[in-house]
Amino acid sequence: MAKVKTHVNRRSFLKLSAAGSTGLLIQFSWFSSLAKENPNLEAAYELNGFIQIHTDGIVTIASPNPEIGQNVKTSMPMIVAEELDVNWENVRVVQAPLNTAIFTRQLAGGSRSISQSWDALRMAGATARHMLVKAAAKGWNVPIAEIEVSKGIISHKITGNSTGFGKMAEAASKLEIPEEIDVKNIKDFKIIRHSKYNVDGPDIVTGKAVFGLDVYSENMVFASILHPPAFGMKLKSYDASEALAMKGINDVFTIQTYPEDFVRGPFDTSAFPELIVITGDSTWRIMKAKKKINVEWIPIESHTIKVKGFRNPKAKEQTIPSGMEETSSQYISMIKKSKEKAKEVRKDGDPEKAFSEAVKVIERTYTAPYLAHSPLEPLNFYANVTDDKAELIGPIQTPEYMEKSVAKRLGMTLEQIDIQMTRIGGGFGRKLYGHYLVEAALISQKIKKPVKLIYTREDDMTFGAYRPIYHAYYRAGLDADNNLIAFHVKAGGIPESPLYANRFPAGTVDNYIAEEWAIESNITTAAFRAPRSNFMGAVEQAFLDEVAELAGKDPIEFRLELFEKAIKNPVGDKNDYDPKRYAGVLKLIRDKAKWGTSKQGLSRGVAAYFCHDSYVANVVDLRMENDKPVIEKVYCATDCGIVVNPIAASNMVEGGSVDGIGHALYSMLTINKGRPEQNNFHDYHLIRNNDAPWDVETYFVDSDVHPTGLGEPPFAPAIGALTNALYKATSKRYYHQPFMIDIEEKYLRNNENV
Amino acid sequence: MPLYEIHVNGETKQVDVDSDTPVLWVLRDNLRLLGTKYGCGIAHCGACTIHLDGDAVRSCAYPISAVGNKKVTTIEGLSKDGNHPVQKAWLEHDVPQCGYCQAGQIMTASSLLAQNSTPSDEEIRRAMNGNICRCATYTRINRAIRTASKDM
Amino acid sequence: MFNKTLSLKSFKSTAIVLSMVAFMIVLMAFKVQHNTTSDYLDLSEIKKKDSVASIAAFEKVYSVLMHPRCMNCHPDGDVPLQGDESRIHNMLPQRGPDGKGILTMKCANCHGAVGVPGDATPPGNPHWHLPPADMKMIFQGRSARELALQLVNPEMNGHKSMEELRLHAEDTLVKSGWNMGGDRELPPLSYQEFTKAWYEWIDTGAYAPSK
Repeated sequence: MAKVKTHVNRRSFLKLSAAGSTGLLIQFSWFSSLAKENPNLEAAYELNGFIQIHTDGIVTIASPNPEIGQNVKTSMPMIVAEELDVNWENVRVVQAPLNTAIFTRQLAGGSRSISQSWDALRMAGATARHMLVKAAAKGWNVPIAEIEVSKGIISHKITGNSTGFGKMAEAASKLEIPEEIDVKNIKDFKIIRHSKYNVDGPDIVTGKAVFGLDVYSENMVFASILHPPAFGMKLKSYDASEALAMKGINDVFTIQTYPEDFVRGPFDTSAFPELIVITGDSTWRIMKAKKKINVEWIPIESHTIKVKGFRNPKAKEQTIPSGMEETSSQYISMIKKSKEKAKEVRKDGDPEKAFSEAVKVIERTYTAPYLAHSPLEPLNFYANVTDDKAELIGPIQTPEYMEKSVAKRLGMTLEQIDIQMTRIGGGFGRKLYGHYLVEAALISQKIKKPVKLIYTREDDMTFGAYRPIYHAYYRAGLDADNNLIAFHVKAGGIPESPLYANRFPAGTVDNYIAEEWAIESNITTAAFRAPRSNFMGAVEQAFLDEVAELAGKDPIEFRLELFEKAIKNPVGDKNDYDPKRYAGVLKLIRDKAKWGTSKQGLSRGVAAYFCHDSYVANVVDLRMENDKPVIEKVYCATDCGIVVNPIAASNMVEGGSVDGIGHALYSMLTINKGRPEQNNFHDYHLIRNNDAPWDVETYFVDSDVHPTGLGEPPFAPAIGALTNALYKATSKRYYHQPFMIDIEEKYLRNNENV
Repeated sequence: MPLYEIHVNGETKQVDVDSDTPVLWVLRDNLRLLGTKYGCGIAHCGACTIHLDGDAVRSCAYPISAVGNKKVTTIEGLSKDGNHPVQKAWLEHDVPQCGYCQAGQIMTASSLLAQNSTPSDEEIRRAMNGNICRCATYTRINRAIRTASKDM
Repeated sequence: MFNKTLSLKSFKSTAIVLSMVAFMIVLMAFKVQHNTTSDYLDLSEIKKKDSVASIAAFEKVYSVLMHPRCMNCHPDGDVPLQGDESRIHNMLPQRGPDGKGILTMKCANCHGAVGVPGDATPPGNPHWHLPPADMKMIFQGRSARELALQLVNPEMNGHKSMEELRLHAEDTLVKSGWNMGGDRELPPLSYQEFTKAWYEWIDTGAYAPSK
């Protein structure tokens, strides 16, 4: 048994106990202990949870983090329930609200909900169990050590005493919270590692689950926004007389979401800080009337804004350049910039010397476009702001960050802000950036009524905060024996570089150089499922496939040789991956996909990638039909440590693989004179059922390592395997996403020599 | 302003809305039947799928004035206790991730199976091609439809 | 040389039209017996044959029929086209035996009797459909000559007589090509200009251009 320090926040505990009258309420704040043990821990991943035991034995477990489809609302309570030893059938799960006085650090992002709360959730369950046992021991006057707990029943064999959790709840609630607690041996898990159905499943399939857009209240006003049609533009003036004359329209006015001198938090990204707002009595009427507002937009001047970093809380000035950008000129700028001197991030050995001595050298260039996250539930929020309170309900991945921003913007204290989390209808990173929450609050504050702010799909898609547009140049050198002796990666993008300098194959090549560059832009970008990895993982794996081919080696054997070197004799000490686990998923996929055999008419490709502390390898089997791939099978092998909830973990890997494949094949957002050229699903292509892989088979490495990320790691390697399978099927290498659009012809061919 | 009678889930309701109001917003804003979702407003994502006399109609692009006497069924009215074979299969396969599109997926799937209780894999893929799942749960959706098909 | 070729081709097209007319006379004679209120084409009208005027009128007609607003529902394949660039219709609805789609992908599931206003909302029409599977009436990829010949051939035009073909210009689905809403590009002629050209083409002999 391992001991976990509890560090319970006593003040918060008392507060909650006073609020709840029916049983034992336990409040945990473990961030201080986690932070002490892991000085590099991201401040953003701190979280809290609580248990409520009802007198009838029903246990309510509050799930602290926003549920965005990653299954935390089931898997987090499973971890608590495991240590509590409650019967899972008696568990009820509720979504915890955001309350910084009680809870802290609730966030959905970085695939870290489970990994960062693992110890804490276990502690939550174990502490409560201990207190229940202690209460029973006291009541029955027997030693604690003789008491057993199973499925919510506390029993003492010798005396024959036995009772349910509910009967001991009151006594337990009066006990001191232990400062240190034993947690279970991993081998004894009865709930963790056993599939549990999504706790919201029955509500979802009957339409009862509440998403942000489903929040309605009496006397609520409907609101929508108008933002500039192009990046690099702002509002000059408007005439709303026609709209105001329409039935059901209340008002048209402007709001400043983020005034120019406002110090923005890390998730206050918005290209359009001033907006026109229209309010009315129904969604449809405001949607109709907003089209009748005549607006004059003018170009912005180059200016700076103050932004606090995610890792560095000190505000920095960020330049917003003027001008209206174009996709075509962005490709030209990237090509140019990639040929200029860049920032060296890592260098091992003497790469240039090694390249000059190499017998074979291969160099390749890859690009990927802007992507609009397009969560199926568009941005929206409910706000009811009165003089002394702001009630804010809706879909948000960063409630605590937005609480700070909105409090500052409204001129209120944190205690006056009450953010409640609904289920989130998809985010993929977009709902980390909560400008829409602030906007809803400002509208409600202004009109002094509850308001529901709704973005139309067109608003959502053209508002910005896209996956950046990326470019990567790779070069590899082989010696006479086909050993990889030199490796060069130079990656950049608009407005950020996607480079991870210490990722594979860093550490496996004696002569290695990684460089990066970036180009400023006024087009806002955002974290997108597996940020940066979503590009680098895909293209690195495509490049390595070509290198393996050049070396005359099987692509899996080629990678395993490199991992062998990284295991025995790694180059450098900053490599961020574990080569044994990396090789492990490749070996597992080799076995499960029966690599080396082939199926009639199908071409296969393989790839593996590490991000968010997890490892995923894929094999894709496809054939071409009418110039489009028919993907018959995707095999995935994942090492994410302990698999908390297998049925949900498998769902995440299946979806993540298909999501990656879909974006790499079809999705692209382009810009013309600053305007996004796509605004809805008729011209922005997301993968659909008929184009999706017919089947995805998932396998997990059996591991006792504490759980690591799962939401993001499956995305990139699926693209890598797809790219490599496409080559086998067509004899053509694919370098530019999305593969079903001829980027080379449209944007690159005439610009190669710029 | 016109007054419309609409037959929803076995009940007749009166609503006072503009004639071009999409059925989606009548269901949501007027009748508070919130299981039917808004995703695109142009009939391209399927999140708003309802049954109109059994057909899988996109309510976001279907004006109230075009409904007439047709019977509307929403996800809330698909079955009494969530026990439609498609709903049961959805739970058995633990299909949903974020869950936002699933009511629409279920409405399309149930309309498919009502018309063809033994669709081929290809027929399933084509029939479900109007419903986007942004979490990409397509493989599970199709498995669940195959399971439900045995139960129809 | 050029003239010679041209005259040879127009001879060919004249011959075809003549045989068509002969065929239709038989057809109409049959129909007239059962239809006393017939307003079938006055034969004297057809006799005002004018191949130059007819072909000139058809060029105008062709520019409309090949426009996305018309051609998108007359695809060379079983999936309709969509948008000003005539891309394959999103979500791949299929024609089905009666042209009205199949299962969960019936045209009317998205194209209601009336549409909802919006730039990219599905246009409405009470009878939205494609030509049926046994007579696909493909426009996509057809030359002017091919299309003209196809239009007058009852075996390829939905068993329409010349008069029925003439009246088809007043079909609500044809009209909806000018009334789809949003920012969709309109056909190159107005509806009035189109019907004028259409009637003129038929009334002057429904000649097919040489190419």
